[in-house]
Amino acid sequence: MRGLVALTAANLRSFTRDRAALFWTFFFPVIFVILFGTIFAGGSSDYGLGWVDEDGTQPAAMLREAFAANAPVELTDGTLEESRERMSSGELDAILVIPQGLAAAIDAAQGGGGQAPVAVTIITDPSRSGTSQAVQQIATGLVMAANLQLSGATPILTVDLETLQTTGLNSVSFFVPSILAMALMQLGIFAAIPLVEQREKLILKRLNATPLPRWTLVGSNVIVRLLIAAAQTVIIVGIGVAVLGVEVVGNWALIAGFVVLGALSFTAIGYVIASFARTEEAANGMTQIVQLPLMFLSGIFFPLEVMPEWLRGIATFLPLTYLGDALRQTMVGGTPFAPLGVDALVLAGWLVVTLGISARFFRWQ
Amino acid sequence: MSQSVATARGSGATLGARPDATGPVIRVGDVHKAYGSIQAVDGVSFEVAPGEIFGLLGPNGAGKTTTMEMIEGLHPPDAGTIEVLGLDVRRHAPQIKHRIGVQLQTAALYPQLTVEELLSLFGSFYARQRPVDRVIEDLELGEKRAAQTKTLSGGQRQRLSVALALVNDPEVVFLDEPTTGLDPAARQGLWQVVRRMQGEGRTILMTTHYMEEAEALCDRLAIMDHGRILDLGTVDELIGRRFQERGVRFLRRDAPPGEQLRGLAGVTRVVEEDDEVVLFTRDVPATVGALLEVTTGAGTEPADLMIRRASLEDVFLDLTGRALRD
Repeated sequence: MRGLVALTAANLRSFTRDRAALFWTFFFPVIFVILFGTIFAGGSSDYGLGWVDEDGTQPAAMLREAFAANAPVELTDGTLEESRERMSSGELDAILVIPQGLAAAIDAAQGGGGQAPVAVTIITDPSRSGTSQAVQQIATGLVMAANLQLSGATPILTVDLETLQTTGLNSVSFFVPSILAMALMQLGIFAAIPLVEQREKLILKRLNATPLPRWTLVGSNVIVRLLIAAAQTVIIVGIGVAVLGVEVVGNWALIAGFVVLGALSFTAIGYVIASFARTEEAANGMTQIVQLPLMFLSGIFFPLEVMPEWLRGIATFLPLTYLGDALRQTMVGGTPFAPLGVDALVLAGWLVVTLGISARFFRWQ
Repeated sequence: MSQSVATARGSGATLGARPDATGPVIRVGDVHKAYGSIQAVDGVSFEVAPGEIFGLLGPNGAGKTTTMEMIEGLHPPDAGTIEVLGLDVRRHAPQIKHRIGVQLQTAALYPQLTVEELLSLFGSFYARQRPVDRVIEDLELGEKRAAQTKTLSGGQRQRLSVALALVNDPEVVFLDEPTTGLDPAARQGLWQVVRRMQGEGRTILMTTHYMEEAEALCDRLAIMDHGRILDLGTVDELIGRRFQERGVRFLRRDAPPGEQLRGLAGVTRVVEEDDEVVLFTRDVPATVGALLEVTTGAGTEPADLMIRRASLEDVFLDLTGRALRD
């Protein structure tokens, strides 16, 4: 027990004196949070929208006013031709086309006639999936709202617009738990590197020449990782809340539970890497090979919904998908990818399997 | 020094009486260890008595380190028995580890911890401890106690690695090539430390590939090569078993021809090395007299004339047919 405490203190001391480790563990994720926060909460939440009014009537002008007043968009009038050109040159994010016959259709509808609906066209650029999605949502929402207003159900209009107003904020809310998940993933997987380093430098061998039981060594490493995970959580969530105005809506105990489970699962993956990497260089390479696909295929930076089907299939097996999902759900009330119970089960499953693999293959010297 | 050694051996000065102080401290019986197709240790047996400095001498790759690490409980032997302090290493490794101090060949340290922190960290692993201040004093690390270990020089690192072997006030100390990479002065300093350990009643098993170190420190030696012990005994025994002669050495420059030297009184063998001639003789005065007669007759004198007995180097050459050099 005394050995465990002393070793944990020594490991923490070593960690806090290692500037590179401090940078990657704390400052790197913080930079990420601030970067994403600025991109998604800042000026670019005003999307450039080309406004092509082919109707030119009073109702069309009213619709334009509703857009300008209520959505995070900047409208630029023009013909379809002009707008297309502006969009290709990057000035516009999307184009909204109000077709001829809008006023006529409204008149007909209010007169009680069963005329076919008039289609408002949204032109987006699929290569910029995040933007086009947001614009689609905003435009669809506003058109729906306009529909409601025109059919006389005024109060609902305001409610609907409030929801739309928070879209910009939601991106940050989406990213803060994602970045926390990423930080926990890296923290765990990078556990391989000091472990392989200690084996290569024969520190593990030297410890093995003392009566210190091996479980103490593993236990101390895990405790250190959990303490760092706790510090990361406080820092990342703290910045999210204090600087970016993210609202934590979930249960703190549940959040803590998933932080611990996530840190444990990924640390066990780190031990698997340390089981197969013979040199520190090999461990470095293997952590990158493991972390890159996790980072990009687990829906922490791009919502899973925008991924092609086959990539989503891969994401279904990755632990980071479930950690990100669980943290989004518990922290900001994100849309579930899976129920929380499933998230916990998948993470626990990864933990058990990777623990088994490292128990079988890990070498102390 | 020798007097304090004698008392320490008798009473166990700092360690107190041990229940098993009379039997051998280490007993190794026909131990084998292979790594893949390489037979690293091939049937090694020896015993180390309480209070003794016992040396394993041999070139790199002779199996010294593997033998020692099996005794420390770091690797299980493939076959054979190892007892330390009367306990079987296979079954009682944790108890044994509490009572032994280990210095590994490659200094293994936490680079970001200070000397003092590292010593108290290792101390915390043991039931019995020697105060960190004492250990720092033992190895003269006082100036560096607050320095992170990554800033230490090679010699300081080596001393720290020996210091780590003392934090638990051990009964048996294992030193693996403790003076490798040290300059001559630092080497002498470490010999003093080892002798002091012995003076405190500790038993020491060490490996070395320095003849001089083995001669200066070890009460008894086992000469190892290719995983086997070739011979075992005190330095005098090892030399006396093979060489009754003394060597009369001098520089080859201006020396009489070999034919003439072989005929000199008392000479049994003539060995011509790089720039030296060695006459092995059972009668030093007769040989030297005859030599001087010859050289004086030729109007010269033997340059750098020196008389010495055979050395461990000669023993090793005799046992293996090759020289033991770094």
